[in-house]
Parts: sequence; C-alpha cells; structure tokens
Amino acid sequence: MAKNKANNPLDKQAGRLAEQDYQSVTATLEALLEAAVDAIIIIDDDGKIRMFNTAAERMFGYSAPAVVGKNVNILMPEPYSSQHDRYLQNYLETGEAKIIGIGREVKAQKNDGALFPIELSVGEIKGGDRKQFVGIIRDITERVRVETEIRDNQERLAHVTRVSTMGEMASGIAHEINQPLTAIATYAQACRRLLEQKKADPETLDSTLQKIGMQAQRAGEVIRRLRDFIKKRVSHRHVADIEDILQESVKIAQTDTRVLNYGLTLELNNKLPHIVVDSVQIQQVILNLIRNAIDAMEDNPGQPIKIYAEQSDNEFIEIIVSDQGQGLDEQTREKLFEPFFTTKSSGMGLGLSISQSIINSHGGRLWHTVNRHGGSDFHFTLPLRASPNLRKGNAS
Amino acid sequence: MTTQKQIVHIIDDDDAVRDSLRMLLSSVNIESKSYPNAQAFLDTDIDYLSGCILLDIRMPGMSGLELQSKLNNMGCQLPVIFITGHGDIPMAVEAMKHGAAEFIQKPFREQDLLDRISNALKKNRIKAGEDMEIKAIQTRITALSPREHEVMSMVIDGKANKVIAYDLGLSQRTVEIHRANVMEKMEAKSLADLVKMVLLTAK
Repeated sequence: MAKNKANNPLDKQAGRLAEQDYQSVTATLEALLEAAVDAIIIIDDDGKIRMFNTAAERMFGYSAPAVVGKNVNILMPEPYSSQHDRYLQNYLETGEAKIIGIGREVKAQKNDGALFPIELSVGEIKGGDRKQFVGIIRDITERVRVETEIRDNQERLAHVTRVSTMGEMASGIAHEINQPLTAIATYAQACRRLLEQKKADPETLDSTLQKIGMQAQRAGEVIRRLRDFIKKRVSHRHVADIEDILQESVKIAQTDTRVLNYGLTLELNNKLPHIVVDSVQIQQVILNLIRNAIDAMEDNPGQPIKIYAEQSDNEFIEIIVSDQGQGLDEQTREKLFEPFFTTKSSGMGLGLSISQSIINSHGGRLWHTVNRHGGSDFHFTLPLRASPNLRKGNAS
Repeated sequence: MTTQKQIVHIIDDDDAVRDSLRMLLSSVNIESKSYPNAQAFLDTDIDYLSGCILLDIRMPGMSGLELQSKLNNMGCQLPVIFITGHGDIPMAVEAMKHGAAEFIQKPFREQDLLDRISNALKKNRIKAGEDMEIKAIQTRITALSPREHEVMSMVIDGKANKVIAYDLGLSQRTVEIHRANVMEKMEAKSLADLVKMVLLTAK
C-alpha cells in the first residue's frame, strides 16, 4: 500500500496533505489543551488517567507523567475516592448517568492532601473500541470564598436585626419567664406552709415538686429558644422540618403579648418534606412577617393571623403569613423591600429587606399580595432541593 | 349576706400560676376558685359572690382591665387585686384609677400577696356589713309614716320642736310624740345616732 501510494503522485500528495492535516489538528488540540484555564483530564473506562493537561498539573500539583496510568480516584477525597470505580462500573453496566452530561460542584484533593471546591463536568468520548471520559474541572475556591463572605455578611446583618427584634420584645420575654417563676415561687411557699403546719403528705409534696420541676424546664425552654435565636453564629444550612421551624417561630412570636389579642393559627396541609435551610434565618423571616402582621392589625383586634404552609409544586414549599389588617397603600407597596424604608415610628426598616435577602439566598422568593379581607398576604417559597451552591461540601 | 363564705376568685390564663395560687391559698385555709379567662368568671352568678378577685392584667381575649370596667358597670363590689407583670406599670395605674384595691407584681413574695388578699377580704367584709346595715336602716325608714318621715327630716336639719310644730301647723306635743316614734322605729339611741343612720343611706 505504501509503495503504491509512493508511486502515485496524486496519492502521495493526498498522503502528505492528510499527514499535514493530522499534524495540524493534533497541534491545535494540544495547544487548546495546554492553553485551557480549566483542568482537562481524560480517563479510560477502567478509571486510569490517559491525559492530564497543564492546568490540571497546576491545579492538582502532580506532573502529567506521574499520574498518567494511575486511577483518577487519587484526585478525590474519601468517600468518593473509594466509590469511584463502582460509579464507573455502574455506568458501564446500566448506562445510568449520575454525573455525565451534568455539571456538579464537588471537592477535589491536591497532591499535598489539601481539599478544594471544584466544578466538574464529565463527557463521554465515543467511537473508539473502549469508552473514554473527559473531565473538565474548574477551581472555584475564589467563588466559594466570595459567596461565603457574602453569606457571612448577610448573617452578621441578620444577627444584628434579630438582636434588635428581641430588644423590642423585651417586656414580653420578661412576662414569658415570669409566669413559670411565679408558679415555682408560689408552689414552693405553699409546700413550706404545709410543712410548717405538719399538713404535708408525701404525695402532695411529690406532685408539687414535680410541678416545680416542670415549670423550671418551661422557663429554661423560653431562654433556650431565645438564646438559639440571638446567639452569634455562622450561617449554617442543614436538613430541617419546616413544621418545627414554624412552630418555633410562632412560640417566639407569642412572647409579644399583643399576639394574645389576635391569636395566631398555623395551617399545615399534609406533611411537608424536609428541606435544607438555615433554620434560624427562616425563623427570623417568619417572626418578622408575624410581627409586621401584628403591627398592621393594631386597629383591627380580634382577627387571627393565619400562617399557611404547603407544597406548591414539585420544586417549592410555599409559606403565607396572612393578616386582616389595614393593608398597604400603593406607595408603601412599591418601597416595601427597600432597606431603611419604614412606616413605623420605631424600627429600622430592615426587616423585610433582610427577610428578602435571606429567602433569595435560599433560592426562594418573597412577595406581597392583597387578600380578600383587604389585608396583606406575605408569601415566600423555599426550594425542596437546595440550589447547587448550597450543596457545597456535603454533596457527591 | 355576711354569713356567706368569702372566696378568692383567681382569674389567670396561665394554668401553672392558677394552680400554684390555689395551692398556696389552700395551705393557709383560704378558699379559692379559679377561672382560666375573664368570660368564665362572668358566666358565674356574680351578684351572689363574696370575697375578692385576684386578676391577671394580661390575658388573651378580655384583658384584666376590660373585665374590671365590665364589673364596675355591673355594680360588682368585690375588691380586685391585680397581678401585673414587669413593665405593666401604666396598666396598673389605670387599674388603680378605676378602683382596684391593690396590685402586685409578678413574681411576688407570697407574704405580700397574702397580706393584700387579707386586706381585700377585710374590706369586703366591712363593705358587706355596711351593706347589711344600710339595708336594715332602709327597711326601718320605710316603716315610718309620711308625717313621721317629715318630722325626721326636719329634726335632722337641726330644727327645734317648736319650729317644726309651727312649720307643720301641729301642736308641740304632737311633734314630740312623732319624734319619739321616729327614735323608736329607727332604733336610734340619740339624735347623733339618727343623723349617722340617715347619712349612711344617703351615700
């Protein structure tokens, strides 16, 4: 064949052209791979690294010759490292893609053992006799750092407003704690008097001591709830039951005795799925909305404030805080979510703007509508599945 | 009326506070009844109650202050002791203005509470006694004849028998008889006694 080709000038020409094309394509590809800012790694169907570009060398701290031929799982922390072969096997057998064609944020491991966040996308190279996969990896350390910083700042601001809200509620809190203290002191004195008169039977004393214990716990519970609410902390998202969050918020709101005049009802439709949230921040949003509702009803006592929670579709839980207050005029509605806008004589005007930023950062939405009583409905949604940048660290 | 047992009526929405108060009062042999809200108390036959009311100022539904003004309008005479929380001073002042007997801040020293309760019960007892006396005097007044009544009014005004006789166109002797009848029917030992009685009913 080669001889034939050599003999035929046309063939020779074509061969040379093909050779040139091949070389230029390879050169282009190589240049592309080397110039890429993202790490590009190609692996075989058994997980062995085939190609490791310059960016990958920089990112992971390995030289290409040192890793080519090794299993790609050396670039991952546990438990992914030991599970990777199984993932690959599973895909080859079932064709079920968990990551291929989908971008993901995961953790990667450098040569020196340091972990760092990456955005990984995986594609399949078809055509050869063996399947190969290409992984494109972007180091998102900086982006995550900025996001964390923004989130920390938001939490700091949220914390300041939580503390100031508690300040506004001080007299209600004192009342809340005074109730059990009054009962404890009174029970104790009653016991002493019974003992003095030698009228105390062990059963009465025992049941009263039990009651005293329960009241002490009740006071402790009030303090625990408030301390959890205003403790200095870093924003922390975890799997939580929205029903628990709602109940806690309602209990905190009830320390404002004005709630007594209206009543507060919680209407939950079915059992709601658990969601990933910063529960203290969500409590803060609900408390803020309830307190706004109380303020709006100042001149309209007797109508309960209603809170509804339901799964609105496959993606979101929706929570509505509904009052039968005086409603909002056009001008107020326009500026509702602006920071430092307030219609109250006291208050910083930060409640709704912080609530909105909390809900937005959770991947939800906060908005206002007028209900059929002319009062306000504040709605907010929370995604059932945490948005991608929330899966950081604990996702596969 | 005075024979009716004095009872402390505890009105507080907090179960534990209510329960502990009842226990404390029973430990010092004071009878009490408790009500979880203002309406529950209004639903009882208030006219026949004796004793005093221990009333929480902050309650859901009808507040302590609202109940107080309702009771005032109904002419309820039971002394009211308000239990107030921290920072309820303006409310307590309002309560005192409307005739509350006492107020006590939560959490309280039990002796302070018991002292206030015993004061209130005493007040209620005296009041009940007075009421009885007034009622008795009123009965006696109605037993007087119109003429006797006329003479009594003039005697109280400080008029001498002679003047009364002249004013009414009666003989002095007749006035003396009327006057003696008045003193007897009114069970008055002296003129001063009679004046006191009539003043009491005029209140």
